[in-house]
Amino acid sequence: MRVLLIEDEQRLAENIVAALRETGLAVDYALDGETGSHLAEQGVYDAIVLDLMLPGKSGQHVLRDLRREKLHTPVLILTAQEGKESIVGLLNAGADDYLSKPFDLGELLARIKALIRRAKGVSNPILTVSDVELNTVQQTVRRRDQLIDLSPTEYRILEYLIHRPRAIVSKQELLEHLYDFDWEHHSNVIEAHVSNLRRKLNIAGTEPLIETLRHRGYRLRDEIAVL
Amino acid sequence: MKKSLSITRRLTVTVLALEFLSAMALISAITIHEWHVQLKAFDSSLEASAESLMGAVQDAEDEGDNVMLDMRGVHLGKNAIYRVKDERGRVLGSAGGLPSLELPLAPEHVFRNVDISGRSYRFFVLHGLRIVDPGEPNGGTPHSITIIYGTPIEHVWHEVIESIRFFAIATAVLLGVTALIMAWSVRAVLSPVNELAREAERISARDWHFDAPRSAKETVELRPLAAALEAALARLQGSFDQQRRFTNDAAHELKTDVAIVKSSLQLLSMRKRTVEEYGQGLALSLDDFTRLEMTVQKMLTLARLEQQPIENHRSGAEVQYCSLRDVIEDAMHQSKPLAELKAITVVFEYAADAKVPIDNRDALLLCSNILLNALQHSPNGATVRIAMTVNDEAWLTIEDQGGGVSDEDRAHVFEPFYRGDPSRSRRSGGTGLGLSICKAICERAGGSIEIENRVAGGALVRVKLPAELSEAIHSSSAQLKEQ
Repeated sequence: MRVLLIEDEQRLAENIVAALRETGLAVDYALDGETGSHLAEQGVYDAIVLDLMLPGKSGQHVLRDLRREKLHTPVLILTAQEGKESIVGLLNAGADDYLSKPFDLGELLARIKALIRRAKGVSNPILTVSDVELNTVQQTVRRRDQLIDLSPTEYRILEYLIHRPRAIVSKQELLEHLYDFDWEHHSNVIEAHVSNLRRKLNIAGTEPLIETLRHRGYRLRDEIAVL
Repeated sequence: MKKSLSITRRLTVTVLALEFLSAMALISAITIHEWHVQLKAFDSSLEASAESLMGAVQDAEDEGDNVMLDMRGVHLGKNAIYRVKDERGRVLGSAGGLPSLELPLAPEHVFRNVDISGRSYRFFVLHGLRIVDPGEPNGGTPHSITIIYGTPIEHVWHEVIESIRFFAIATAVLLGVTALIMAWSVRAVLSPVNELAREAERISARDWHFDAPRSAKETVELRPLAAALEAALARLQGSFDQQRRFTNDAAHELKTDVAIVKSSLQLLSMRKRTVEEYGQGLALSLDDFTRLEMTVQKMLTLARLEQQPIENHRSGAEVQYCSLRDVIEDAMHQSKPLAELKAITVVFEYAADAKVPIDNRDALLLCSNILLNALQHSPNGATVRIAMTVNDEAWLTIEDQGGGVSDEDRAHVFEPFYRGDPSRSRRSGGTGLGLSICKAICERAGGSIEIENRVAGGALVRVKLPAELSEAIHSSSAQLKEQ
């Protein structure tokens, strides 16, 4: 999952980015409204954390332009301003959630994850597809009650695929949503990770979960005949 | 209930009192006039009656050519008292008990007031000549007749009192009508006051909007009040808004700083880290915390500066003076690292030192804030020029070669937390309180501070402070000190 942070307070941005990355999210950040708006409108983010007082372009305008572009990326507003009216106004303008400063970093992370989940149509933090169970809080994966040890990237690929059951997910899409600009990435990196993931999920007595469609991408098989 | 003052009642009472007084004066005048008129009429009737008595003196058919009184055809007033005498003292006729009257010796017509058994009478004394047989050769026999005739004067009084009563009743009716009209019209006249009060009542802490009603603005007497109310409220709202803005800005600033500190520490405690990571994290957290501390400190300084004047006046604390030259040199010394980093030359020119009524600490704060501001806005390698002139006041100018200030910013740069950028980006450094603190220091000392653009480019900060010329250094030639 890839998150965009638009926050002009450098130190705060650094801390949030570090925390988000530590929880396994890819993060890009912008220190001003113009850049932030430009990045947000590329549509590759699964959630946006937006500060309101920004140089160049205010958070309100970033949000308004994003919604005008028909992008439905969930947006969490960070605000140090008082006043319920502005919050109501923001929620009505298309924001999905808000946190007022000073906030709890853990709460911010939990809210971002919840926003991403809900945007994908799930509200339960434990995602299941056929016999695979993925706990997004503990970041653990089980198949038939057997704990499967995955690397962070493998976990993220699986999480992303589970959010898009039966859909064909291209390598490009995976790259866009799993890596931020700070990463050196190539599509064959994805191939290697998917191949490892498939191998690790392949425990005795199960059918392969991930299908590879040549030149098109990957697909998670939803209905697997239980043997 | 406390004794309250009612304009309606006052006006009504005043008008009624005036009306009453003029009615009284009028009645007095009328009484006097009426008395005279009635008395004259009374006197004429007395004269007429006396004349008719005179007419009733007839020629008696006797040998002595006497006269007699023939009362047939003579109508006299009720209770009339009279006596008709001839020259020999013979009483021709009389009625009622005539008192003895002091009559003048000369035969002239006189009026006399006499009390007879508790009643006031007015008498008329008529001297007439009755010639008996004027056709005779000797010209007839003349009889000098004296007639004293009087009636009670009560009648005059009665008439006068009647007219007084009439006027008194008319006055009472008039007063009543006036009171009613006054009550109604004063209420009508005062209705703009009530409307003004109703409008003013609507003002609350949340809504300061006040528009004086048109009726009040159109009333000449209320216009100043309405205008004063509007102006006072506008001023109040202005300072209230400013206060609120300050509180909001201060809250925003503090929350952001706290958010940074909190997130730094929470990030550090998210999972177990190596000793190096902890060390780095703590160092960063400490920096973040220092910034929070600075913000708080500046806010407290500003609060102290804005509160102190009142306390000083109360306690009558002695004003401390400091040498402005020394302070500027201290400030230059303090800012030396930044100046050297940006390779900026700071020039300080002065002819004389000035003692300004600011304590050392605040004066240093003032000078170093302005100097740091100039340094921050100067490009590398530029020159910052400080000049001090002293006459009755100390004038301090600090020129830089930076971008100057826009007209829009110039109006606000001294407001707390104001930054050119509406987002209040903090990357340029500072909390946005420096210049506000400078302004507070200057104003507390009774001086002023302003900022303008130099023609040659860059900003010029001009500080004016009340000063005592320090006699110690009064060099004739300008000293130039370069750093």
